[in-house]
Amino acid sequence: MKKYMFAAAAGLVALTSGFSAFAQEFPPGQVEYIIPFGPGGESDITARLQQPFFEKLYDEQLVVSYKPGGGGAVGWSQLNSMADDGSVIMGVNLPHIIVQPKQGNVGYDTDDITNVYMFHYTPDAIVVRADSPYETLDDLIAEAKANPKKVTFSGSGKGTANHLVAIKFDTLAETTTTYVAFKGTGAAVTAMLGGQVAAEWGYTTVAAGQGDQVRMLAVAMEERHPTFPDVPTFKELGYDIVSGAYRGIAVPKDASEQTRRAVSDAIASINADPEFQQKMIDGGFALIDVPYGEEMDAWMAARAQEYIPAARAAGVID
Amino acid sequence: MLDYFLAALTPLNFLLALAGVAAGTIIGSVPGLTATMAVAVLVPITFGMPPESALILLGAIYTGAIYGGAYAAILLNTPGTPSAIGTTFDGYPMAKRGDGDLAVTIACLSSLVGGLIGAFALLLLAPPLATAALAFGPGEYFWMAIFGLSLIAALSTRDFLKGLIGACFGILVAMIGISETSGEVRFTFGSNTLLGGIETVSALIGLYCVPVLIELAARSERHLDAPEQTRGFRLPEAFATLMRQKVNVLRSSLIGTLVGALPGAGGSIAGLVAYSEARRSDRSEPAYGTGNPGGIVATESANNATVGGGFIPTLVLGIPGTPPDAVILGALMVQGVRTGPTLFNDGSSIVYTFIFGLFLATILMLPTGLIIGRFAYSSIVKAPKAGLVPVVAFMTIIGSFAIRNSLSDVGIMLVLGVIGWLANRRGFSVSPIVLGLILGRIAEEGFVQSWTIGDAMGSIPGQFFGRPLSMVIIALTALSFIYPFLPDIKRMFRRGGEEAMPEKANAKDRASTAAILRDLAAVGVMAAVALVALWQCTLLNPEAAVFPQTIAIGMLVLCAFAALETLLTRRVVEDRSSGSTPRRIAVPVAMAVGVALAPVLGFALAGIVMALGLFLAAEHDKRTARGWLILAASVAAVILIFTLGFREALSVPLPRGMIF
Repeated sequence: MKKYMFAAAAGLVALTSGFSAFAQEFPPGQVEYIIPFGPGGESDITARLQQPFFEKLYDEQLVVSYKPGGGGAVGWSQLNSMADDGSVIMGVNLPHIIVQPKQGNVGYDTDDITNVYMFHYTPDAIVVRADSPYETLDDLIAEAKANPKKVTFSGSGKGTANHLVAIKFDTLAETTTTYVAFKGTGAAVTAMLGGQVAAEWGYTTVAAGQGDQVRMLAVAMEERHPTFPDVPTFKELGYDIVSGAYRGIAVPKDASEQTRRAVSDAIASINADPEFQQKMIDGGFALIDVPYGEEMDAWMAARAQEYIPAARAAGVID
Repeated sequence: MLDYFLAALTPLNFLLALAGVAAGTIIGSVPGLTATMAVAVLVPITFGMPPESALILLGAIYTGAIYGGAYAAILLNTPGTPSAIGTTFDGYPMAKRGDGDLAVTIACLSSLVGGLIGAFALLLLAPPLATAALAFGPGEYFWMAIFGLSLIAALSTRDFLKGLIGACFGILVAMIGISETSGEVRFTFGSNTLLGGIETVSALIGLYCVPVLIELAARSERHLDAPEQTRGFRLPEAFATLMRQKVNVLRSSLIGTLVGALPGAGGSIAGLVAYSEARRSDRSEPAYGTGNPGGIVATESANNATVGGGFIPTLVLGIPGTPPDAVILGALMVQGVRTGPTLFNDGSSIVYTFIFGLFLATILMLPTGLIIGRFAYSSIVKAPKAGLVPVVAFMTIIGSFAIRNSLSDVGIMLVLGVIGWLANRRGFSVSPIVLGLILGRIAEEGFVQSWTIGDAMGSIPGQFFGRPLSMVIIALTALSFIYPFLPDIKRMFRRGGEEAMPEKANAKDRASTAAILRDLAAVGVMAAVALVALWQCTLLNPEAAVFPQTIAIGMLVLCAFAALETLLTRRVVEDRSSGSTPRRIAVPVAMAVGVALAPVLGFALAGIVMALGLFLAAEHDKRTARGWLILAASVAAVILIFTLGFREALSVPLPRGMIF
């Protein structure tokens, strides 16, 4: 009898501990961090920067893996079929997840993605070669007005953040410029450095990487970037542009409310680490903090309102 | 300088270089495991290391992987990495005639020389070469892709028209999915599977390897002729070959270095360009494409030279020269190392220690590469077919899965493999299709960008034809296209053009009506593909449509010519080798069953079920029950080891299913 009692007690203990494991806080163990792009891009680099801080925080591994294809669509369309216990998180990028589903059937809808945190963005910027005749944004605008179409910009592809901002800029500055789509930021930078185009619609990260080889004419931020105190914002110059490529984290839709908040908190604590902040700022990134919940919903709605008309104007969606 | 050299030679770095080269060679030899992936997997390990050691390890893996790609190319006709495509052209024919061991050793020596020359360029000429590479604009990339396509003329001398049609087909296949420049969804027919496009590496595996597997199963003779006695590394012979080919080695290494330094090109293009040039200037027998060691020398020295060459823009400009460089660049950023001109000019110790580490890794590649190559050769030559087919089939499946962790890529690989096999039977060689697939995207980007810039500047022809660098490439392309036909053209002039194609009159070449019908049907299918593409293009915006539309129209015209040629000359190029049809059909069927079962049973178990089917399909020998058991057990063991290795060491999320 005693033996049975013992077994029952053991069973109960196992059961409750099982429950507590079920209700256990994040992380459930090793966490897979899926980047829906190939290695080496900004999404990968920032994930790699987060990696050691996550491990410091939880003493669990954060494994970065890649699922490239379709400009991220392959990964996002599979997100909701993945493990929902917090062991899988995926990087999300804007404007991609807003614009792509409007372009046709890409296997997911914007609302299918459960965003839990937006942690940084790469602000749009106009970048020229150091020996370019354009010293200021006004120089460039004057040239564009004198010679419509002839000022060429390289950019990272149609429908990306910097394509949309190029269209918006043309409207606000009343200019006609030519946007030449390249395959990603690296190729766009190469074309600008090689003088194939007059300027590049790039990001602050480009200037952080290229140093004194290049000059930024303006950045699309609320305030100047700490790494580039001398570069004016578009706002200062009279153009209401604050934009860039935003990056965040999403979880599968079946993840519990608790897991969603836990992941959100985890990314928030990494973002709050001064050492992490310094590394991001040195790389030219700009940190933002949009946590899970109403704040995220409002933020996403605002972005959709901004991107969808821009994409329509750019002819990327109907 | 000497300090840096000594810094690179610490015991830790030496060990890292050795381990890196060995690991890289093994990873690179598995089709599907690319250099990019090998490097990406190891990045987290390097976080705990000093930056120099991390770079040396990553560089060594990269070097090893590029060389390792040659094994599968030579022994299985399947490039282990895209850089080794050109190695298959002559490597596999050499292996077929029993010179596989020699081919592997030649590949090793060529890789060594190429790697050293690339590293020297990185050491001495990096800043000026990086600046020079920037002169390469969209127009030049477009023409370079066309130059690469000119190889079709050489690879399909059996039937040039069919080669061109195949290339158009490859280009159209490359257009599938979301276009990275125009953002349009093209040719997916509403399928989410096709949204991500056709993954190049899995397509390569399917197109090259599946036909080999099918033919292996169909006939009873050995895969490769085994030598009567062991002949060692055949180092003196290989060395003599390299001495004969010294101009080729140098030229190819230079091409590799320069193409590697171009951001946006990479090892596969470097190898193809070097191959094309080598073939043009080398008249020795046997001809290129039928087992001339010069083809291996050219490709392998060029692709290893891209390692050093690719680091030039990576370190000088902070722009990755090749895909693995992109990963290494990311790792450097995390380490807090800022790349760019200052890194070089300040003579910071990291760069020079790294470059000497690269030299070290390249030199260590000689002993490790020879030993691992010897092992790869003997295991493939000695393996009985019934063991070889299932193991290689499993490798192709796990390899194409690992690239994007996607089972649909495996399905696409298999479908393309069957298409490749069918096309080959009907006289469409696989290589032009592959060239179209790889170069099509680069050509399109360059084309659309040149067009846009030209339009803005008011001079579209000037963008395409007016740039000096473009003109040089155009001239080379023209030469390369015409060259294989030079003997024909000469003959035509000598005979006054009365009988241009002497074969035409040859009565015994005349094909039967059935063969002609088969040929016309195959050409008709290709024409139908072109028509579907044209119809799809009408639904796209002009920027996304212009390139595939042009290609599809060209393809239709070529199909018309091909049909006309067949009808007029009654000459049909096709492959009608003997062998058992049921066995042929069994191979893709067993593989498809394996893929379908993978999510249900788990990867390893599904692999074993598939292996059983392939085992029966490929078994031609009489074997005792004991022999049967030993073979089956060893195949199962290999599959288990592969599954474990991929899952644990490479963190590939293989489906586990019910069991394993």
